[in-house]
Parts: sequence; C-alpha cells; structure tokens
Amino acid sequence: MTLRPLSLLCELTYRCNLQCPYCYNPLDYPRYRDELSTAQWSGVLESAAALGVVQAHFSGGEPTLRRDLAELVRAASRAELYTNLITQGTFLDDALLDSLLESGLDHVQISIQAPEAGAADRIAGAVVHERKLEALARVRRRDVALTLNCVLHRRNHDALGAVIAFAERHGIERLELANVQFYGWAFRNRAALMPTLAQVREAERLVAAARERLRGTMEIVYVLPDYFGEYPKPCMNGWGREFLTVTPNGTVLPCPAASSIASLRFDNVRDRALEDIWRNGDAFERYRGTAWMPEPCRSCDRREVDWGGCRCQAFLLAGDAAATDPACALSPDHGIVTALRNGAGEAEPVARRA
Amino acid sequence: MRPDARPKLGKGVKLRRDRDGGVMLLVPEGALVLNSSAAVALELVDGERSLSQIVEAVVQQFEVEPSRARADITDLFDRLSERRFVRG
Repeated sequence: MTLRPLSLLCELTYRCNLQCPYCYNPLDYPRYRDELSTAQWSGVLESAAALGVVQAHFSGGEPTLRRDLAELVRAASRAELYTNLITQGTFLDDALLDSLLESGLDHVQISIQAPEAGAADRIAGAVVHERKLEALARVRRRDVALTLNCVLHRRNHDALGAVIAFAERHGIERLELANVQFYGWAFRNRAALMPTLAQVREAERLVAAARERLRGTMEIVYVLPDYFGEYPKPCMNGWGREFLTVTPNGTVLPCPAASSIASLRFDNVRDRALEDIWRNGDAFERYRGTAWMPEPCRSCDRREVDWGGCRCQAFLLAGDAAATDPACALSPDHGIVTALRNGAGEAEPVARRA
Repeated sequence: MRPDARPKLGKGVKLRRDRDGGVMLLVPEGALVLNSSAAVALELVDGERSLSQIVEAVVQQFEVEPSRARADITDLFDRLSERRFVRG
C-alpha cells in the first residue's frame, strides 16, 4: 500500500522573540538561518498537496516573523490545503490578521504561558502576556476558528484550573492543554520542567471534570505527559506514515523533533523532490512500518497501535533510535524514564537563547 | 440532535472531496475520513436542510432501512456536535 502524508508542518523560521524553556526547537537552531524563499515554500506546499497532504500547519519559531506569511497561506489555499497558524500571537495585529484571513487562513492557534501576566512573562522571558490578550480578542472579533494552547510543565501545572477558567472567561471554544514534550530545549531543561506525579494526577481529575461541565461549549484537548504512561505515545501515528515536517532551511523530517537523531541524515527540498524524499528517503524508510522493530516491539500486540513509540525519545534516552521507546513499561530501558520521572528537580531552567 | 434541527458546519470545519472520490472532514488540527453515507449526509449540511431531510436523502440514495439510517445519522451528528464540528 502506498502511504499518503496527510499533514505538513511548515516550520517557517526558528526565530522567536520569546525564550520559553520548554521550546522543542533544536538547540543548534542558528544552523537553520538559511531559510527557504517564498518561491521555495510555495513549491513545497504544491508538492505536498500533490502527494495527498490536506492540511498545512504554519509554525516555527514564530511564523509571523516571516513577512511573506500571508503569501504562503495564499499558496496553501490555492493548493486546496486547510491552513492552520500556530503562533504565540505577539505580532498578530489587525493588519496582519486581516491579510491572513483574506488569504484563506482556516484556523488560528494562540499560546499562553500561564493565565496571569506575572507568571506568563516570567516563563516567556519577555513582557508579552498583555499583547497576547489583545491578539486573542482580535481573533475572537472575527469569524475564524481559534484554539487556545497552554504548554504544561512543573512550573505552571498547578495553574491548570486557572487556565481553564481563563479560557472560559475569554469565550474559548477549543482549548489545548499540552504537557511539555521533552525535545530540544525542553529536553535540555527536563529536570526543571518535569511535572510531579501528584500534578499529573490532579490534572487528569481537573480535565475530566472540566470536560464534563463544558461539554458542547468547549472542547478540551489534553496531551498526555511523555513519561507517565504505561505505553508510549503512538508518535506521529507511526514514522513516515501521515506526517511531514519541513524545517526553515528545507530539511524534511518525519517528525518535528527528528533532527535530534544524530545517527540519521535528512534530505533537503533544495536537493531532492519532496515526493522522492517521502517515498524513498533513507530517513523515512528507516523506521517505517514494523520490520525494523526489535523485541519486545516485534512480537507485541500493540506494534501497530503505538508503532514502537517515539524514535527521538529512544535516541535521546537509550542512545539508539531503533530501540523500543523507553517510555514503554515493556522496554528494557524503562528504568531511565522512571528515574527521570522521580527526579523532578528544583533546578532553574535555561532560557532558550535568541 | 433534534430531527428539525438545521445543522451547519462548525467554525474552521471544511468538507473536502478528493480526486479519488474519498471524503474527509477537515477540522482544526485533524482530518476525519468519512464513509460514503456520512459523506453524503455531511455534503447536505447547509444550515437550511433539517436533520430529517438529510436522513431522508441518505435513505433514498443508499436504500437502507429508514429507522436504522435515522439512528446512525443522528448518532453521527450528535458526536460531531459534541466536538463542535457541526452545530444544530
């Protein structure tokens, strides 16, 4: 069967005016400064649509730092792609928002760091919370779908109830509460960001109660914490099965964190056609399907449920991208994860540097 | 959803028919692949037609038992409206 990618993540730039310590961008992001041109991105969008992709997500870094964002949204719309903007909102003024909507933008996701300015600005490393509130109000005044996102970690987990109340107060219809995923800067800062078991349990209770209470009014998407489940997440629904990521300089990845896997070499749209990379690229082929799996995955009933979990996590924690994800309780390396989970520390996180 | 409700697609929700004829409901950060009767039902959603008119159209097109079709389609619309993908 020919696999068809459904979703394209366009990481337009890794530049950002915030310094969130939970950023998943690679630590060596200045290497990606040689950004694709408008014409190259338009080509990526057209090739992705021809491959079967139906949704384009514009992210970063902060995608609104690209001055050609509206033009790229228009290129995606022309290719009949559903368009989604993932932004922290600090540059989303009336003029930009209107030009994006005129270009066919279908959905906006705005993130906050915490429900009140003091804590939010401390986490962001910049005074930006008020500007985000203005952006939220601006989006709500227009007839466009909006998701509010808040990344949860040890330092704001206890404010989860207040985040839900904030969303209610601001008339949010879709709320994404995403536990931090430990890649890039977040992996570097994992000891400082790891929630405690008590926080995770309390969050589950709060989310379940809020979902019940807000049924039909607000959809709450809760992204489970990485290291607390019995089984690993079915990362990207399987390597090279549905998702494509293109980084600012045109590198094509099976998942946004994959550049952390030092043992893989990734192709670039400047050198090779996107279709060829998707179908035949070494990095995509390496962990596609189930044939590459070691035990205990190979004979596991869940091998086509969680697809062996996350390759990046296997590389980062066990040192081998082909290992069973250590987040799985059946992994021989699971002790690494339990040690990290229990070792949530008081250390100060390192701010992402610009 | 009540039979006389006149559903429409939610904000940021789009129906898409592919070149190969497959139909998907595109929603914020996801895509749902629809079976053929769900696709026909959702293609009739326009804020004007009532749920019972939509059921009627599906019954005619697929020659299914009306009570079964009514239950299935109402269930589909209930699930979609809970996630605000359709509004009744």
